[in-house]
Order: sequence, then structure tokens, then C-alpha cells
Amino acid sequence: MPTKERDAGERERCVTGIDAIDHILNGGIPRGNTVLISGSVGTGKTSMCIEFLIRGALEGENSLYLSVTEPTDKLLMNVIPFDFFDDKLAKQGKLQFIDLPKIYQELGIDKEEIDFEQARLLADTIAGMVENQKIRRLVLDSVTSVCYRIRDQERIRDFLLRLGTVLSAKGCTSLLVSEIRSSEEGYSHWGVEEALADGVIVTGNLERRGDLLRTLQIVKMRGTTHSRAKYVLDLTTSGVLLVPLLKGGSVTGGG
Amino acid sequence: MSVSGEVAEKLSTLREASAVALRLKTVQYFDAIQGMLDRFAMKKNLEVVYVTTTIPAQSILSALEVLEVPMDHIWLVDCISQIMMSPGKQHPHAIVVESPTMLENIMLKVEFLLRKHPDRSALVVLDSINSLAIHNNTKILSEFLHILVNNLRARGAYTVIFSMLEYETEDIRNMLVLVSDETIELGD
Repeated sequence: MPTKERDAGERERCVTGIDAIDHILNGGIPRGNTVLISGSVGTGKTSMCIEFLIRGALEGENSLYLSVTEPTDKLLMNVIPFDFFDDKLAKQGKLQFIDLPKIYQELGIDKEEIDFEQARLLADTIAGMVENQKIRRLVLDSVTSVCYRIRDQERIRDFLLRLGTVLSAKGCTSLLVSEIRSSEEGYSHWGVEEALADGVIVTGNLERRGDLLRTLQIVKMRGTTHSRAKYVLDLTTSGVLLVPLLKGGSVTGGG
Repeated sequence: MSVSGEVAEKLSTLREASAVALRLKTVQYFDAIQGMLDRFAMKKNLEVVYVTTTIPAQSILSALEVLEVPMDHIWLVDCISQIMMSPGKQHPHAIVVESPTMLENIMLKVEFLLRKHPDRSALVVLDSINSLAIHNNTKILSEFLHILVNNLRARGAYTVIFSMLEYETEDIRNMLVLVSDETIELGD
């Protein structure tokens, strides 16, 4: 079910369909939240986002993936062959993949740096697509790449605020992928992204006695109580699976 | 009574969702596996997830072939081949965990296999606590068993934890007491 009915006063949820995440969030992401999915390379950000969209499309929610860094053809060739994926979703238009560079082209954004007006135009264009096509789930992969072209912190703030406000008003739950280096402090390259997001989910690599574990932690999520514990993640054909990180009596989580 | 018969009979008396410590001698090992998989699990129509941390999955598979145990509903999680750098060929019923120290990944693979076969009750075998104790300290191993067993109990799955008597320590016995509902000790 894409939406979970809540008690009075509680916000409507967007049930991600990723069981463990819905469990951690006590029923799913509050509907309309803009969530930063932050992590270094190879930690499962894109796979998790694609599963979020497929699960939504399977439940009848129009879902849109905006790819910035990688052409979607190449992306889809390398994506995990999920058992639950259905070709019909794309044919029916329930699940769409669009390359953002094509939108840049259509908008005449051809310079390396995006100025204030162009950033606003881009935010309004994405918002327009969400409205016209009744998109309920959106992934922007990655917001870091867009911000690299906007460059200026004030312009980034304006772009994200504008985009987030419209998406939220339309009831569109969105995941913004934030690429960070493992050595980087914070959850986003520019710092603005995490401050404006309603939620922050961090994926990472944890080395323990020579083993490299993929981890996930929900640091922030407005509109719901949630666990802030660290989990170990596996990317499988059945989707993203999580189990608690074992502490083994150690405060640093090692055994 | 044969070892395999004894194992099957004792397991059959258990209620669903039981967690059992199976204490056995090394010489009883393959007979115990046969009793558990061929007699008990087959009769109960269980999907079996067999976690091997003692010998490579290939050796278990070869043994099951010799014992003529049908493989249709048996899945192996092999936690030892990779760390041994063993060049064994992949089997469609075996998946690999890089090392027996990656306890969370063992839980994840068990979860994955159980999700693949949601329609049948399950038996999860941990072979063995002794070899896991070689690679992991007591605290993290206790935590692992506690989470795994309770998760399986909630799913209504049987859990059987092998413990080889020759290699049992007091720590291992305490861990087994903590997580198991029953202990089965085989006769001579």
C-alpha cells in the first residue's frame, strides 16, 4: 500500500515498500517530505532510490527518476535485476526515467554555471512535470551534480527551497541523492542541502576488522519518530534488506 | 537407533518456532545432517537454509549427493569458501558470505532466502557455533545469536544450532543455554 492511514494528528505516510525502512520510520516517509540520501560511492544510494520508485509505481503512484550524472540507458543496464520489477510500469508511464541534461538543453541552459533565473526556471520546470504528470515519487540523482552547476550557496538555497516547497505542496515525496566523500564531514557537499531537507538518510561503508559492511542510518526525518541506530544493508534481487549493526560490546560497533 | 533416526525423532517432537542446540560428536556429523534434512525437514515440508561456517558448501553438497538427499528445498549460505580462497564452482543453491566474521551478512542472506520462499515453513541450520566462535568473540556472537534466533522464532521457523562436543567451551555452552529452547544431545 503506498499510503498508510494514520491516527488523527499524524501525517499521512508514503510507504516506501522497503520493509525495513518503513519499519524504522514507523510506517514510511511522511508524505511530501524531501529526503536527502547521502553517502559515498558504492553504498547503495541509487539502488535504494530505484527500488523506492518501482515499489511506488507497482502501487499505482506515478514515479519519476531524474538522472544527472549517468545516462539512464547505461544506468538501467547496471541496475540490480529486481524480482519485483515489471516492464509494464515504464510502458504505462507509471515509472519514468529522464536525463536532466536533456531538460537543460530544452531550457537553453548551456553555460557551465547556472545563474539565479535559470536555477528558478529549472526548479519550476521540475515542479511543472510533477504537477502535470501527477508524480507522487521523485528521485533526483544527484542533487550534488545540480548544485555543482549552480555553485553559489544562496542560489542553491533558493533552488532547493523553491523545489522542496512545490513538491511538498503537491504531495510528492522526493529523494535527493547527495554524493559525499567518505572523509567528508556532514551529509552534503554544500551544507545547504541537509539543512533544507526534511529528512536525511545516510549510507556508508564501515570497515570492521578488514570486513567492509554497507551501512544505513536515518539521521533526521521530520513528521515521524524513528530509530537513529545504524543498520547493515544488503542489495539483493528482492530489494534492500537491513539488519541491525552488531555492537559486540564495543562502543565503536566492532567485534 | 541410528544417529539419523534419533535426530529426526527428537526434532519431530519439537513445536514450531523452536530453537534447538544439537550437541553431537564429530563422528555423528554427517548422519545427523542426513537425519535432519532427509528425514525431519522432508517429512515436515520445510524449506531449509543451511549456514555452513565449518566446511565449504561444496563438501556439504557432495555429502548430500552421496546420501541421496534431494536438494530442491535446501539452500546453503557458505561462509567459509571465500575466506579459504577455495576455487570451488558456484552452485545455484549456494550463496556466499565473504567471511564468518560478517555476522550481519549471514543474517541478511538468511533473510533473503526466507523471503524467496515465503510459502513454506523453514528450518535454519547453523553449522556450527564452534567454528563461529573461532572467528568471533563471545559478545558479538551472543548478540548475533540472540537477534537471529528471535527473528526466526517470530517467523515461526525452526532453528538448529550445531555444537560439536569435542570443541565446546563454557562460553559456548552458556550462549546455547541463553538462546535455545531445547538441547538435544545424541547418544553414543
